Amino acid sequence: MIKFKKSLLCAAAGTVLLAGQAVAGPYDDYAGQTLVVNFPAHPHYDAVRKILPEFTKQTGIEVEVDQLPYLKMRERQTLELGQDEGDYDLIAYVVFSKADYVYADQLENLARYFMNPKLADPSYDSADLIDGYVYNIGFAGGDKGYLQGKTGSLFGMPYGSETSVLGYRKDIFEKHGLSVPETYDEMLDIACKIPELEPGMGGLSSRAASGHHAAHAFLLHLAPLGGRIFDDSWNPTMNNEAGVQAANALKTIVDCGPEGAASFGFGEALGSFLAGDTAMFLDTTIVAGQIDDPDKSKVVGKVGWAMHPMGERRASQTGGFGIGIPKNAENKEAAFLLMQWLTSKEGDKLVALAGGNPSRFSTHDDADVNAKFPHMKTFGEALQHADPDWRPIIPVWGKVNADLGTTLSKVLTEDLDIQEALDGVAERTTAIMEEAGYYTWK
Amino acid sequence: MSTATFNRLTPYLFLAPAVVIMALALLYPLGYMIYGSFRAWDPSQALGESTFVGLANYVTLWNDPSFHESAGVTLKFAASVVSVEMFIGVGLALLLDRNIRGMSVLRTLFILPMMIAPVVVGLIWRYMYHPSVGIFNNTLKSLGFESIDWLGQHALLAVILADIWQWTPFIFILSLAALQSLPRSALEAARIDGATAWQQIIHIKLPLMMPVLIVTGLLRLIDAFKVLEVILVMTEGGPGLSTEILALRISRTATEFRELGVAAAMSNYLLMMLLVLTVIMLAYNRVQEYRAARAIRIIEEDI
Amino acid sequence: MSSSSETHQSQHPAFYMVVVMLIIMAIGPIALMFVNSFKLDVDIISGTSGLLFLPTIQNYETALCDVLPYEMEHLDFCALKFGGAFVNSLVIALVSTILTLVIGCMAAYALVRFRFMGRDAVSGSTLMVRMVPPAVLLVPVFGLWNNEFCISKTSWLGSLIRDEFGGRGDVCLAGTHSGIILIYVAMNLPFVIWILQSFIVQVPRQLEEAARMDGAGPFQVFFKVVLPLIKPGLAAAAIFTFRIAWNEYLLASALSDRDTKTVPILIVNNMSEFNVEWGVIMATGMLLAIPPIIFTLFASRQIITGMTAGAVKG
Repeated sequence: MIKFKKSLLCAAAGTVLLAGQAVAGPYDDYAGQTLVVNFPAHPHYDAVRKILPEFTKQTGIEVEVDQLPYLKMRERQTLELGQDEGDYDLIAYVVFSKADYVYADQLENLARYFMNPKLADPSYDSADLIDGYVYNIGFAGGDKGYLQGKTGSLFGMPYGSETSVLGYRKDIFEKHGLSVPETYDEMLDIACKIPELEPGMGGLSSRAASGHHAAHAFLLHLAPLGGRIFDDSWNPTMNNEAGVQAANALKTIVDCGPEGAASFGFGEALGSFLAGDTAMFLDTTIVAGQIDDPDKSKVVGKVGWAMHPMGERRASQTGGFGIGIPKNAENKEAAFLLMQWLTSKEGDKLVALAGGNPSRFSTHDDADVNAKFPHMKTFGEALQHADPDWRPIIPVWGKVNADLGTTLSKVLTEDLDIQEALDGVAERTTAIMEEAGYYTWK
Repeated sequence: MSTATFNRLTPYLFLAPAVVIMALALLYPLGYMIYGSFRAWDPSQALGESTFVGLANYVTLWNDPSFHESAGVTLKFAASVVSVEMFIGVGLALLLDRNIRGMSVLRTLFILPMMIAPVVVGLIWRYMYHPSVGIFNNTLKSLGFESIDWLGQHALLAVILADIWQWTPFIFILSLAALQSLPRSALEAARIDGATAWQQIIHIKLPLMMPVLIVTGLLRLIDAFKVLEVILVMTEGGPGLSTEILALRISRTATEFRELGVAAAMSNYLLMMLLVLTVIMLAYNRVQEYRAARAIRIIEEDI
Repeated sequence: MSSSSETHQSQHPAFYMVVVMLIIMAIGPIALMFVNSFKLDVDIISGTSGLLFLPTIQNYETALCDVLPYEMEHLDFCALKFGGAFVNSLVIALVSTILTLVIGCMAAYALVRFRFMGRDAVSGSTLMVRMVPPAVLLVPVFGLWNNEFCISKTSWLGSLIRDEFGGRGDVCLAGTHSGIILIYVAMNLPFVIWILQSFIVQVPRQLEEAARMDGAGPFQVFFKVVLPLIKPGLAAAAIFTFRIAWNEYLLASALSDRDTKTVPILIVNNMSEFNVEWGVIMATGMLLAIPPIIFTLFASRQIITGMTAGAVKG
């Protein structure tokens, strides 16, 4: 139902009421405005919703949240950002939307705001932001178009940054005298030993369902095993030796995994770890909160955390979301203030304490945060090995990703030959890249 | 305006709202879709801003193995649900066509699955198929069998079963109605001639029901091509493309791959497929109606 | 159909066994959802089936958090706006049902009484329209409702709407209740016209002529004589249109915005990959299923009439 907009009178009354608490100065001009923000249904943003009342209390700026599953969110944003005037003042976007939105000139360049002395907070301390994430999520126009580099600039801020870590069942590992895997070989070895040692239990639960789940799981192993999707001149390389190795690793994990592993999405994979049906879990850091929630988990206190095992190199995923201001937003300056507050030291700590993923070094070292979440230290360490180039962020990635995901799912369920399957993906990817003009300079 | 002209205009006045709405919200969109299928069309563009690409979208699909697989899955799904549902539905109708107490209660309970939202049906079945806590695997385990990877290796079977659960009652109820409106004289005549129950079914009941059964089957077939929500909630088309029926692929092409032109072309292929099937079924129906009429005549002449 | 005055035949016990099995199969899954909607997620996921659990209404509280007057301890904020979506669903389903019936009724009457087309032509075209899957309408409806069916915000009506209701940009059908209602009415009209025709045909002409003799105009004849006589047909048609409008997901999800979401959209959105909260989803599913279940229990006769009129007589 279309809501009646708050009348000016009402807004003025709000300002007066809040004047007592509001810091005199930067927020005064914007108090009483209502920001419409678009967030994904995601544990980090659930935590954000818990701290938003604090923002409103401090600034007098109201926030209305439209929270959607992230594929839906992207659909919605495609529509909204394409219009002359959009509904959203601030959007959260998945890393790979960065390419689309910046390319279509739909996101505000943040330079204008950080240059504005009335808006930019001098105590913001941008050096404290984790570098890899700023470049991975916020930067565009640098090397390869999506990495950091001298030609790039900032279009968004990382918010809800994730990397991959290995969760393992301390009790099971102790019982059988297993040591925490450091390398891929050790991890695969243990993954397949578990079902023998603990009948009924799977080794490692991973996402594997058709589509982006399977593609994600593959990418997770590809970078540490030394592979890449493209070489430097955009030729697909996912079918080289490292690619086959990564697909093999995924297949081994699924084969030694819990029942029905081949159809697991992220939810099922996590669910099986939460229910105590698997001994290990290799995926995003975001799950830590749920694992310690006795309402959802049967393994509270039994889980230890370690870094993503090494193959050729350490390369955990960089993922998660960023927040940016659409070009067609109504209240851009207030949106910037919200964005700055959320990613400030204060906001970052608040969201971390509420169960979100912090994106500052200082928050990972913060005593209060570590007291509440002892794993934060490990996560901070893992972040330093996060690989910003673990997957390409180019506009046609969606197509390649979909093909990769469907094909890998066939490898897992229909026993397609791995080399053949990946060769097929490479061939179709070449056609996609050709059409998109990536080989123009050859 | 005189009463006479008003009366002459009445039928048009009565028809006008329906015609306007259907022209605006059905015919125009269909035309728009056909027009759009010849263009490279992105969701962030208005159709006018897109470029004309001729038959490119149709050709791309024609050569696209994923589209073939999807079309195959659609046909497999439709053929299996319609044939199994017809078999069970008609069988149950023949079995339960008796004068028993509580028949209307029974019918009411059977309608329930049909009335519930497909989204909810999908969610119930997704839960029942759950690999570790679902009722099917729990039952299998407690009986000492291996559990089955329902939504993984047997995903197509799993969605077919869910559809059979929801829609067999439709065929049951229509067949029962058809059975009960059969001419009594023909059945009496057969009984007097000493035909067994089986002979009555094979030689009299089924042939006479045939026209209704064909229409019923046709309606089911058309609906089977519309199924989307149940599968979306249960498997999202996976694993691989094993349950990705065309309706689902159209919606994914439009929203996930952002290729509206290709999605429009795919919609056209789907419509053409349906049209051919409908025409074949209707032609077959004509033939059967003629036969049924002749059968009744012969039986009645016998008396 | 069996009339109650006839004596009931007694049957073999095996026959009753079969009947009981069928009943369990038909309503078992629904009962399972009902039971699970009263369980906590921990109980559901731990797989201890059976009835040994402490029933809780917490799932329903979570679902209805935006309409319940009290704060819930287990919730930090109200994520699921089920109440709002329920109202949207109700408005959309009711308005589209009423519109479809009124418009469909008039059209059916005109087609029968004034002999525009043969009955065969009408059945044929109904079947053709019924053939069109909603997925096929997705692309054009999405494009039209968002880009073409718009009023400029600078026009008189456009600026009036923007001043009254807020929002930004041109006023388009997409994102409004009217947009969703329009497509539902269009989708359901052919079917409703088809069903109602078969009822109107049975209204004796003499009754209408008698009314006309008494000086009633065509509209009076229609509303005072014809409508009351086809009530069963109307009931059947109403239930079918309501069911489709109430249950539909695909088009609603393409056309609705954050304020016009319907319940099916909410359910699909909450099957999100991060956190399948089975208990809450089962509770929302149950709430969505209640109206159709009530209809079925109280109006099964009309439903069956509608179904058979649609297929057997058509």
